[in-house]
Amino acid sequence: MRKMTVREYVLNEIQKKYTIEDMQHIDELNYVESGYIDSLGIIQFIVGIEEEFGIEFSDEEIAKPEFRVVGKLIEIIEGKVRSNEES
Amino acid sequence: MKKLADLFYETAGKFPDKIAIWCENHSLTYEQFSKRVSQYSNFLLENGIQYNDKIGLPMNNSIESVGLIFAAANLGIGLVPINPTLPIESIKNAFECGDVKHIIARKHFLEQYLVEGNLEIEGISICLDEQYNGYPCLQDALNICGERPIINQVKGNETLIITMTSGSTGNPKPIDLTQQSKYQRAMTHIKLYDISKEDVVLAATPLYHSLAERLVIMPLLIGATAVVLPRFTPSLWLQCVEEKKVSFTIAVSAQLSQIAVVLDNENEFNIESLRCLVSSSALLDEQVKNHLIDLLKCDFHEMYGTSETSTITNINFAESMDKKQSVGRVLPGAQIKILDDVGKELESGKIGEIACSSNLMCNGYYNKLDVFNQAVQNGYFRTGDMGYVDCDGYLYFSGRKKEVIITGGINVYPPDIEQCLLKMDLVAECAVFAYPDDKLGEVVAVIIVSNNEQEIKKRMVQVHCAKNLADFQQPHKIFFSNELPKNAMGKVMKNKLLAYVQNNYEC
Repeated sequence: MRKMTVREYVLNEIQKKYTIEDMQHIDELNYVESGYIDSLGIIQFIVGIEEEFGIEFSDEEIAKPEFRVVGKLIEIIEGKVRSNEES
Repeated sequence: MKKLADLFYETAGKFPDKIAIWCENHSLTYEQFSKRVSQYSNFLLENGIQYNDKIGLPMNNSIESVGLIFAAANLGIGLVPINPTLPIESIKNAFECGDVKHIIARKHFLEQYLVEGNLEIEGISICLDEQYNGYPCLQDALNICGERPIINQVKGNETLIITMTSGSTGNPKPIDLTQQSKYQRAMTHIKLYDISKEDVVLAATPLYHSLAERLVIMPLLIGATAVVLPRFTPSLWLQCVEEKKVSFTIAVSAQLSQIAVVLDNENEFNIESLRCLVSSSALLDEQVKNHLIDLLKCDFHEMYGTSETSTITNINFAESMDKKQSVGRVLPGAQIKILDDVGKELESGKIGEIACSSNLMCNGYYNKLDVFNQAVQNGYFRTGDMGYVDCDGYLYFSGRKKEVIITGGINVYPPDIEQCLLKMDLVAECAVFAYPDDKLGEVVAVIIVSNNEQEIKKRMVQVHCAKNLADFQQPHKIFFSNELPKNAMGKVMKNKLLAYVQNNYEC
């Protein structure tokens, strides 16, 4: 089966319970403030990303506000995947 | 007694133009919503779903979910709602316990569990949100006949909802709620909180739990408006109360703690429409309670009950300011006994296990009446909670006898997590316990003893849990130790675990 891109994976996970109606502004969506990932689901969400893409986030990275914004999170993951591939 | 669906249709006929339900920018009048319920009913029948069949429903908070509850009542069908994030084994377990024959789920779920996973469904699978893989799509119901189908077999005593109280690796306790019990529970709470057709009632907890189900059934039986919040954050809750002019709701205590923090920091919300707010599920922190009573100029209640018995006690703090630490007095139709270890009733003031009887009691555990009967003594359900009753008849909650963690209002059973962790080769022993948390009330914590062959890392544990447990079951605190605190008999001292980590680790 084809491996999902970072974007596909993140959007899929965020929409596990609810479909996002406004896909036009998806990159600016704060998925925590809008409740798509709640306090109960956040650990599973982060660990799932780490496992899927073979990366690891530090506590500092997770604490940054941009980590909770869809577009920024995708960039962070893609950056980590790239540096993994380069090393 | 009227049947649930009959009363709903009757009410819809009386208030056709009134808003029946709102959820995430969509609303339907009673005329539109009753038509929707009829369309769903006809659609289910057309797809071969029959009286008394059970449908598995990975449920989210939506108009579709509420419509399906009333369609199920109309047809005498039972729903087995589950948390959509449950791992596959728990889903299989829950569906097996609930005799699930059919499934209605979002594409995401069907893709993950039915197509790529190995969940087997004997009957029909319906996709809730879009056309997918040739499955019938619930959206197509909107193009079919909107006339109510009447099934003469429906008597009102059919199972409407089977709620799972546990159900990961352990044995689920499927609580059997008939149409009648849902109806009686709704009517009792309508009376208790004086809910009228003028009210706007908010459901902001997951619909796969009985609390939110009650919060949508109540208004729709009397011509009030049901507001369904799809996802909870304290800001979304406050915004929703303000915009939709919510007048009544029941919230879980973990939500209220978070709401109090936001209200403190952002004073811009106008929530004057709220006339009555009820706290439920776990004891509300006293400071938060006092703060909210000061902040909100509305009636503030706290209730105590279990999913098996429904609400047993209630307190309105405006009327009982001197009993602020109590969870109230028994409701009409309910009784409490405080029992000692051998089941003997204790006098007032003495702490023991809270046992209750109620006319709102569930119909037992579905297909597991023997398990239910074990928890009942002379008609009184032993709750596993500890407490005492004062000389004025007020109940005070003082802890739990049963091992349970309440995180964000959801019950987590430590053995479910422990059994999952013990499946890891590197785990020799583990003990799961409740760790206090400002936001969620409690979170899942675990102490792990490795088998010493290889170093175990926190990340390995997190990955294993992320794959095998639901979101609410994930351990938020993981500690490693060479041993677990045990008593002389070698039994893990569960009540000492929190103190043990607080004394030995930097938390």
